[in-house]
Amino acid sequence: MGIEETLKKYSWMAPLLQRADRETRSTLLKNFRQRKKNFFPDKELHADVDNLIKCMLCPNMCRFDCGTLQASNTESMSPAYKSRIAYYLSIGKIDPIDPANKDFINLMYKCSNEENCKVWCPFEFSVVSLLETVRDDLTNAGLMPDYLKPRIKNLKETETIEDYNIYKTYKEKGIENIETDGSDEVYYYIGCEMMKFPEVVKANIAILKKAGVKFSTNLDKKMCCSGPMFNIRELGIAKEFAEKNKQLIESTGAKIVVSDCPGCVVALTNRYESIGVEINVRIIHIVDFIAKLIEDGKLAIKGNIPDEFKTITIHDPCLMARNLKDNSSIRSIISKISGLELKEPIFNKELTHCCGWSGTLHWADRKLAIKESQNRVQELKDTGANNLLSACPLCELGLMYGLTENDKGNINILDISELLIKIL
Amino acid sequence: MDLRDFELIYKKNRIEIKDKSKIASKLSKIVGNENISTKEVDLLAYSKDSTLLSFNWEIEGKIAGLADFITWPDTAKQISEILKLANKEKIPVIPFGEGSGVVGGAIPLYGGIIIDMKKFNRIIKINDANLTVTAEAGINGMNLERYLNAKGYTSGHIPQSLYTSSLGGWIAHRAAGQFSTKYGKIEDIILGMEVVLPEGEVINFKTVARASTGPQLDKLFIGGEGTLGIVTEATLKIWPYPEKQTLISYAFPNIENSFEAVRQILRTQTYPAVVRIYDQFETARHFPDIEEAKDRVMIIFVCEGNSKIVDVEESITRDICQLNSGIDCGEKPVNHWIESRFRVTETSSMPPYKIVFDTIEVASLWDNAAKVYHTVLESMNKLKGILMITAHVSHFYPNGVGLYFSFGGVPPKDTSNFEFYQTCWDTTIKAVVDAGGSIAHHHGIGINRSHWMNEEWGKAMNTLRQIKKILDPNNILNPGKIYVDTWGGGDT
Repeated sequence: MGIEETLKKYSWMAPLLQRADRETRSTLLKNFRQRKKNFFPDKELHADVDNLIKCMLCPNMCRFDCGTLQASNTESMSPAYKSRIAYYLSIGKIDPIDPANKDFINLMYKCSNEENCKVWCPFEFSVVSLLETVRDDLTNAGLMPDYLKPRIKNLKETETIEDYNIYKTYKEKGIENIETDGSDEVYYYIGCEMMKFPEVVKANIAILKKAGVKFSTNLDKKMCCSGPMFNIRELGIAKEFAEKNKQLIESTGAKIVVSDCPGCVVALTNRYESIGVEINVRIIHIVDFIAKLIEDGKLAIKGNIPDEFKTITIHDPCLMARNLKDNSSIRSIISKISGLELKEPIFNKELTHCCGWSGTLHWADRKLAIKESQNRVQELKDTGANNLLSACPLCELGLMYGLTENDKGNINILDISELLIKIL
Repeated sequence: MDLRDFELIYKKNRIEIKDKSKIASKLSKIVGNENISTKEVDLLAYSKDSTLLSFNWEIEGKIAGLADFITWPDTAKQISEILKLANKEKIPVIPFGEGSGVVGGAIPLYGGIIIDMKKFNRIIKINDANLTVTAEAGINGMNLERYLNAKGYTSGHIPQSLYTSSLGGWIAHRAAGQFSTKYGKIEDIILGMEVVLPEGEVINFKTVARASTGPQLDKLFIGGEGTLGIVTEATLKIWPYPEKQTLISYAFPNIENSFEAVRQILRTQTYPAVVRIYDQFETARHFPDIEEAKDRVMIIFVCEGNSKIVDVEESITRDICQLNSGIDCGEKPVNHWIESRFRVTETSSMPPYKIVFDTIEVASLWDNAAKVYHTVLESMNKLKGILMITAHVSHFYPNGVGLYFSFGGVPPKDTSNFEFYQTCWDTTIKAVVDAGGSIAHHHGIGINRSHWMNEEWGKAMNTLRQIKKILDPNNILNPGKIYVDTWGGGDT
């Protein structure tokens, strides 16, 4: 807001201030001058104290759409309360070093990164973006929760977040590895979690081949994008991986990087930029790329969709819907498939709800993540569709945890590529 | 860490629980180990509601009240068992919905057991023939309304706290929504309820459109503020989602003209869903860009429903506004309200400057509405430390109005923010009583107004206290509210 606009907005206060007595005006002026002295920490911190205060003093205007609050049903999980604790940890009202305060520190990590809060926030920030600034301080003070440390160890040792290098399993999973010759049109950047869904990877490779795209996968050299390290704020390792990934991507000569994981896309773009690593190629989600291939006539939909897959609903991955702001690619592809009945859930597109597996909540509180997943699966089942379609390995993994015993065998969780390959 | 290091505001009358682990163990047996907590991270989360001064306390590292146990039951039977245990052990029980109350109703003044109602969040059924929805009382207001909208309905109950309040909270505090001029207050919307009484008995009030089955006992629990029972389920009226909405605004020379225009509109049995009068200060604050409204009083209207009826309502509204010297300001002011009505930033922006502020809603019949308005402004403007006192009027009936005052100021020297806050409240309420108004319109009594209840109710307050005693002989349900002079000093 410009100065003129600001003055106009607050012009109504002028007569009120003029009317106030001298002592009142002077007290008010003193309070304005001393705001930082009164309420801010006296040391330099990463914590975004200004916005933490705004958030903690808000009457929780985003609470109804906060996945962790709705899954836990506890006030302790409310967004404003998390910011309140973050503020108290930052100013030392709650001593972060005291081991008795572990619960308060753990709370700083209990957010699923879905950023629904941002949609409703009167200040337009997401709570996780504030919590990450506090996590930075905790990391610097050596106070990161112990349960995160094995994940860091895994990354250092296996270059993935698993305790083995999941990319090395491609042969046993029957995934073709395509090495680059340095002149690729496209680099298919496979997310490490997508390696748990080999049929999706195979479908994507087949789709790209059918469209005649020259691409590589480089699975022997592939490593994690380090997205989770941004969440838990281990930025030293994140930077190391960002530079290695940049090198690998640039070695392919590709003009476009397509990933099957929205988390990877966000890491390779916004997250890397935030630590000064820029990769100067276009990095998009593979669904975006496939939608364009169909649009351009490079992929033709020929077959009929099998009966069991005719009724579908879409689970929009939150990173795709709100961060990459792409709700249309997946629907554009679906609209081209005849005989398919799409049943939209109440909460879709930019209002989608988290599967529980976005971010690192499942490391901080697995039970809570599973409950969030169960909530989302129920919303999707309420549509009446038996096929839950998505475009993110973390979502597909998360949704699986949300299935009841009775759902297994009756409800399919599918990636859009798995559906598409059936009719190409 | 010890939460006792935080300054506790309400520390008188706290009960001492000798064997907390024994009580915790008994509570665990009722709700299961995962549904009870004595952890500090949970106790602190339930130490306040949204009373505006509590935001000042929050940034100062103070705690309003501190419970001993937090529980998350999910059946009426579990609530019943908790209440039976609490009666036996003489431990206070405080129902907690979404914590959006602004008069201290959910603050655990004496410690005890919090019953968090969040697990009562299911929508049980919509009945299209009867136009009703049945839902559990812990459901968040926005989540209920979003569900209804998706199915083609609205409850018509859209308070500014929609995102942050629960169905049970609305019932407990006899809430009103911003569309109340058409759809009514919550007492007009609720048709049936399930309630757990203080000693644990579960009772049901059958869902009826209207009946003649003796006294309307169910009404006792609407506005009971969790002191007479805990509502676990309710059936509400719903409406088909409005097919048309018309936005109208007019600016008037003064508050009297604006009152007169609305009064005349309602006499024709025209009920715009939203009617909001902003006094001159609030008009300047909210509509600085509307030239026609400069130094005037703005009214915005939203007419909604069946399109033919909306057109007639629009025509009548416009005619009467013009007859009362209203100047048409178009849709822009209404759109501004629609866009900003949930953008609550004041609670975040004032406390860091140690500004004490709040809103106080009161009620009045038409014939003294202007008097209530002027009396409050005159009284508050005399207070040392007051920077602003303004009002809007946002709930209307053929017989009267709900006025909504906003004040802000800084405590004078040697006065704590709590003392200043109490002085502001008492000054406003006294002015309302002196002018013949009623002390609350839709936020309820809680702690902030309990010492004015004798004044408001007269001898009937004795009857209310007797009812409380019969239903809750051990006074375990939400003590320190409504019946007790917790602040003191208000009764005349």
